[in-house]
Amino acid sequence: MPKCWLTLQFLLLAASHFAVGQSVENTAIVRTVELGGSVVHVTTTYAIKSLEDGLKSYTIALGHGDKVKTSWVEATIKGQKTPLPIAERAVYGDNAYQLYDVTLPKALSINKTLNVVFDTIQTHSTEPWPAVAWQNDDQALRYTTDLFVLSPYPTTVQRTKIKSQTPRIISFTEPKNIESFVENAPGVSKSGATVVYGPYNSIPPSTTDDFIEKYQQPVTVHYYHEQPVLEVLQLKRSVEISHWGANLNTQDEIVLHNAGPKLKGHFSRLEHQTQQFYKRPAPHVLPALTLHLPAGIRNTYYYDTIGNVSTSRLRLAPSVPKNRQGAQFSVFEFKPRYPILGGWNYSFTLGWDFPLQDSTSYDKSTGRYIVEVPIMTPILGAVVDDEELTIILPEGATDVQYAVPFPASSTSLSTHTTYLDTTGRPALTFKYKDLTVKQAESIFVSYKVSWSAHLKKPIAVGTAFLALFVLGTISRRVNLTLHQKAKTS
Amino acid sequence: MSTAYPIPSDVSPATVRNTASLLRIVALALISGAAIASLLSMNCACIGPLLVEKKILTVTIAILGSTSVGVNLLWSRATRVLAAKGFYEFWNWFDPTAWYPLGRVVGGTVYPGLMVTSGIIYNFLHALNLPVDIRNVCVLLAPGFSALTAWATYMFTKEMKDESAGLLAAAFIGIVPGYISRSVAGSYDNEAIAIFLLMFTFYCWIKALKQGSALFGTLAALFYFYMVAAWGGYAFITNMIPLHALALLLMGRFSSRLYVAYTSWYAIGTLASMQVPFVSFQPVSTSEHMGALGVFGLLQIVAFAQLVRTHVSSQQFQKLLYGAVVAIGVLGAFAFVFLTYKGKIAPWTGRFYSLWDTGYAKKYIPIIASVSEHQPTAWPSFFMDLQFLVFTFPAGVVLCFRELRDEHIFVILYSVVASYFAGVMVRLMLTLTPVVCVASAVALSTLLDTYIDPVEPVAEEDVDDAVSANGSSSATPPSQPASKKAKKAAAAPAKTALGDFVAATNSKGGPPRRKGIFGLDSRLVVLFNTLSMLVFFVFHCTWVTSNAYSSPSVVLASQNPDGSQHIIDDFREAYYWLRQNTPKDSVVMSWWDYGYQIAGMADRPTLVDNNTWNNTHIATVGKAMSSSEEVAYPILRKHDVDYVLVIFGGLIGYSGDDINKFLWMVRIAQGVWPDEIQEPNYFTPQGEYRIDDRASKTMKESLMYKMSYYRFNELFGGQQAVDRVRQQQVPKEGPTLDYLGLLLSSSPGTCAHNEAEILPILTDEAFTSENWIVRIYEVKKEDLLGRDLKSANQFAQGKKRKRSKPAPRRRAIVCKIYEDSRLWMNKTGHCFLLFVRIKSSTLSDLREFRSQEIPERSALSRSFPILRTPTAQDAKEERSIYIHTHPTSNAQRPLPSLSAKGHRPFLSSLRSEPINLPQAQVRPSIFLFSLFKCYHSLFVMTLFEIIQNIPNLDCSISSGGSQQSRTD
Repeated sequence: MPKCWLTLQFLLLAASHFAVGQSVENTAIVRTVELGGSVVHVTTTYAIKSLEDGLKSYTIALGHGDKVKTSWVEATIKGQKTPLPIAERAVYGDNAYQLYDVTLPKALSINKTLNVVFDTIQTHSTEPWPAVAWQNDDQALRYTTDLFVLSPYPTTVQRTKIKSQTPRIISFTEPKNIESFVENAPGVSKSGATVVYGPYNSIPPSTTDDFIEKYQQPVTVHYYHEQPVLEVLQLKRSVEISHWGANLNTQDEIVLHNAGPKLKGHFSRLEHQTQQFYKRPAPHVLPALTLHLPAGIRNTYYYDTIGNVSTSRLRLAPSVPKNRQGAQFSVFEFKPRYPILGGWNYSFTLGWDFPLQDSTSYDKSTGRYIVEVPIMTPILGAVVDDEELTIILPEGATDVQYAVPFPASSTSLSTHTTYLDTTGRPALTFKYKDLTVKQAESIFVSYKVSWSAHLKKPIAVGTAFLALFVLGTISRRVNLTLHQKAKTS
Repeated sequence: MSTAYPIPSDVSPATVRNTASLLRIVALALISGAAIASLLSMNCACIGPLLVEKKILTVTIAILGSTSVGVNLLWSRATRVLAAKGFYEFWNWFDPTAWYPLGRVVGGTVYPGLMVTSGIIYNFLHALNLPVDIRNVCVLLAPGFSALTAWATYMFTKEMKDESAGLLAAAFIGIVPGYISRSVAGSYDNEAIAIFLLMFTFYCWIKALKQGSALFGTLAALFYFYMVAAWGGYAFITNMIPLHALALLLMGRFSSRLYVAYTSWYAIGTLASMQVPFVSFQPVSTSEHMGALGVFGLLQIVAFAQLVRTHVSSQQFQKLLYGAVVAIGVLGAFAFVFLTYKGKIAPWTGRFYSLWDTGYAKKYIPIIASVSEHQPTAWPSFFMDLQFLVFTFPAGVVLCFRELRDEHIFVILYSVVASYFAGVMVRLMLTLTPVVCVASAVALSTLLDTYIDPVEPVAEEDVDDAVSANGSSSATPPSQPASKKAKKAAAAPAKTALGDFVAATNSKGGPPRRKGIFGLDSRLVVLFNTLSMLVFFVFHCTWVTSNAYSSPSVVLASQNPDGSQHIIDDFREAYYWLRQNTPKDSVVMSWWDYGYQIAGMADRPTLVDNNTWNNTHIATVGKAMSSSEEVAYPILRKHDVDYVLVIFGGLIGYSGDDINKFLWMVRIAQGVWPDEIQEPNYFTPQGEYRIDDRASKTMKESLMYKMSYYRFNELFGGQQAVDRVRQQQVPKEGPTLDYLGLLLSSSPGTCAHNEAEILPILTDEAFTSENWIVRIYEVKKEDLLGRDLKSANQFAQGKKRKRSKPAPRRRAIVCKIYEDSRLWMNKTGHCFLLFVRIKSSTLSDLREFRSQEIPERSALSRSFPILRTPTAQDAKEERSIYIHTHPTSNAQRPLPSLSAKGHRPFLSSLRSEPINLPQAQVRPSIFLFSLFKCYHSLFVMTLFEIIQNIPNLDCSISSGGSQQSRTD
């Protein structure tokens, strides 16, 4: 049986190789890594040349290590905006790489070239090093990736640029065993804030176990990072639609974590205040944060488990009618109760109301309402590890449909009972993992609400009060005295 | 009949009555609404700036609630348990995080009324699908009940005089600061519902007494039961009603009505009150309750005597009476002495002694005296809490003497007793406030009745004519049946304002008067005066409430240079830091004032909290705070303390800090360890309490001093550091913490000045809040190499070792592990490892050190997680168990253990937060005060005038009435 599996796997692998093996040649691959805190942006540009007529798809490979870290991928043609459809190739067993098939916009004829840009976002790909730091210390991170960009096609020249935000790079790995690809060792150079691996010439198709075993190696860049490394451990967003109140209430419960180096020793307020006074804040301390909330929100609230937090400022932007792109945001600057040092947590709740008419439209022909619900509020440079998004529709909503920009890890429909509900409201729950700013898109939910469903609540309340009054009337009229006192003569 | 101002004459009495009744209902509803709204809006007005943006009310309240609940977080925690897990869980709730490591049986040691009330409201709302957070219920409970209090006061005062007085009283109690202080939104405390219950019980009692109704007696008993379940101050009712009954008895006013009312109240009320687990058998065993029992017995005897008297001749009766009195007296005294001697009747507790002797508490129970609410009341606080009611109150009491019906005697007794108690303790101002409102309302409404009354008195020479004319015209008086009916209810309508008015509209009702107010101008002057008083009262209440009573105790407000409000939120900052960034089971030591706050906001176990049931435990904390690090360290380690929290106001001038409370810690510790802690050592030789260079050595070495001023002077960058609370200069050389500071000094990143400054053994500064109000230190664990921390510190700094302490000894005890035993271990794992046999507690070999290390088995078994259940293998072998003991000076002294009486928090409902009488706020009030003074003198004069005149007025009215009945 195992043998059979192996054979099958081998056959499949071989098939994939032979199918695409000779059709394309990469004239150049340039990978640019923009180092950050918890989010690293990797852009790989493939300059491809078709070796056959009618090339419809192009295959991109991602090493196993990179695949685990990557939370978002997108392929485009250079200079164009529209993303190309990507299909993730099924994996049998634990492969050392993952293949993606990108469908080209139009078939490529022989000897024609095209630049395919493959954008990925990596999360949790850096680690603080040293892992603990004193309050006054700098913050240094380590980023590790594979030396070669894998490709099932032969590559003429390949480069990897790793860019840090500051030129303060502590160290980088010198690759070994690459003499066959470079003319002059060491095959890596540093200029300013950029470390360049390559150029490496005439690389054979590298999606083979042979190549990976022989040449592929991890390279590490150790650099200083001057912003705190932020992680949102958990984000619970609940969005409640109220037709009676013409309101879309959004409430985020956020658990923030500083994933930078853990604080060594203890927090000294004196030193913190000294730093503040001399305007030399330590890079791993987060004293405040700015969020961009939607325009036109009202009744914003910001509190945590033990009450309102008084240290925040909100600049409201006027409401923008729907279907018009407004560049304005309500800017929310908040200070957590205490500065968040490395390894510390802070959880809080943030909520606001939003005019329903700005995010909902009614389709007269089908009688459906369509609501746009943003998946998250982008926090710059932060990754959201887990998100649970609950959309609570009005009571009596039926025929619920939704469209997501990218698939959720799980979706469920439940019933939520709240203020004076009799039958409860349908609630959609989406769960996501490792979200970044790029994924701050919207879910569209459409549903029908009948006219009678709107009246459910007033009728229920009215009935209850009527019963109360009737009871009162009856009890007022019933006389329970045992013997009547004689009326005064 | 002539009237001072025109009155419509064609209105039927029924219309007038209906309109008045409607107006009354509207007014009462408005008052209730105002009572709620004022409490909310005051709070919101003050909290408002806290909020970034306007919020929907519930959110505001929720947020505000948790800020201002402060002291009573335990209650809301308890309520949460109640709401989440149900009543029986709550009843058996053992809180292992309080009073670490003893734990606290919360269910059995609290008055559950408040929690049950909010639990019921919560469950009711949830049954209606109204998902209100339990916190919101807690916060809004007090304002809601204050509306009910207004209503109960209205009913009570109505029995005293009439509806208009009732309305006035309700309005007063709705806004009077003395009551608002306990009913603002968010003051989730027993008092919040207790005052309503107090007033309503009294109302039922008066009603029962008036009507001789067992129904109202039972109602009174039921509300008394509710009161017992809600507040420790129920003893006030327990003694007030018997006192009233006794007074009536002594005045010869015994009647079957009194008998029925009292007996039904006492029998049912006492039985019901014994159902509260915390009270249990106290109603028949403690001295506080003996009065009620005695009066109950006395009433039986008197009633029996009355019965006998109707059956035997008077001579025989006298003999019988004589014999019986002697016999009962002797027997009773003998029984009382015997029971006290046998310990069946508990002697008076210290709290009650302190009610009679204000100096008692300071001498013998410093923990009671240390609470600012238990201080004798200062005069300004009477004015602040009651304003002009202070002056009208005696007038109202005097007016009660005028009629002196049974219920008036009650008010008189109540006011005398409550005035005394309010003078003894600030806190008992709360019980005085309702009667002040009632009496003042009676006085003011009498005044208004007199001056609004439109009837012009008849000049002397006309009287005779008028009387004769009236006599003839009143052959068929229209209001006759009504007055007869009303007489039954003991309130003749002719005497009320409404009666006057009705009479005036009919313009032929009453007889002409000889005395009264002439003319419109004198009426207007007095009415305007009174109205101004009332208006000023409203302003005063608003001002006091918004300035003094609605600031949440954990949030301080100050002003920026530009006048905008600046919020100082250090407490919550530090508590939230503890909550989010320390292990869930780390134990925090602080002075007991902050116990509930830490438990509620930081959610961490505490050593002591505001439920001050164990004086020894508090004294232990006091000792740790007030002794040097070497002494304190073993205490801290023994109690598994991970963090020590102190409040320090020296930077921003927050006067309620721990250094100012420090002497109380010393005193309380001294009460338990008189040999080790002596108060005079903390003063300078001149007897001053100082923190600067001249501070005594003991003071400077105390843990509290060191933790407060640790690295404080560095903040001033080489300049002289000044403590802004005490206006003293802090020594240039800051304190060092041996047991706390090693880690810091070895930090390479921190600057060199750390080298000079070493926290000694204890703790490392873990967190300091923005304005340095809250400082948290971490207790270092024992050195891994077994050195004591001081020498380890010195080693780390490269200093020569000076002296060493004996290393902790380890003692092995070999014992058998039974199959049904459990292994328990404290969380640090290295302090003691022991097992307890669950089924039988007869481990004689373990008893010795168990009693030494762990005071209570049940507490232990709940405080420590089960390590593992023993296997059969364990049972076969004999295992060694290591017990780690610390070489401390008081190692042989057992830790405080529960008293033999069990959990009996003698001060369960202490509140710790001092009422701040803000000094700076006096200034704006000076103008108001001078204005007020003018009005006051005018007003007192008018009042005297009225009081002198009223009896005469009254005589003329009643004589008029009797004339009328004669003509019948």
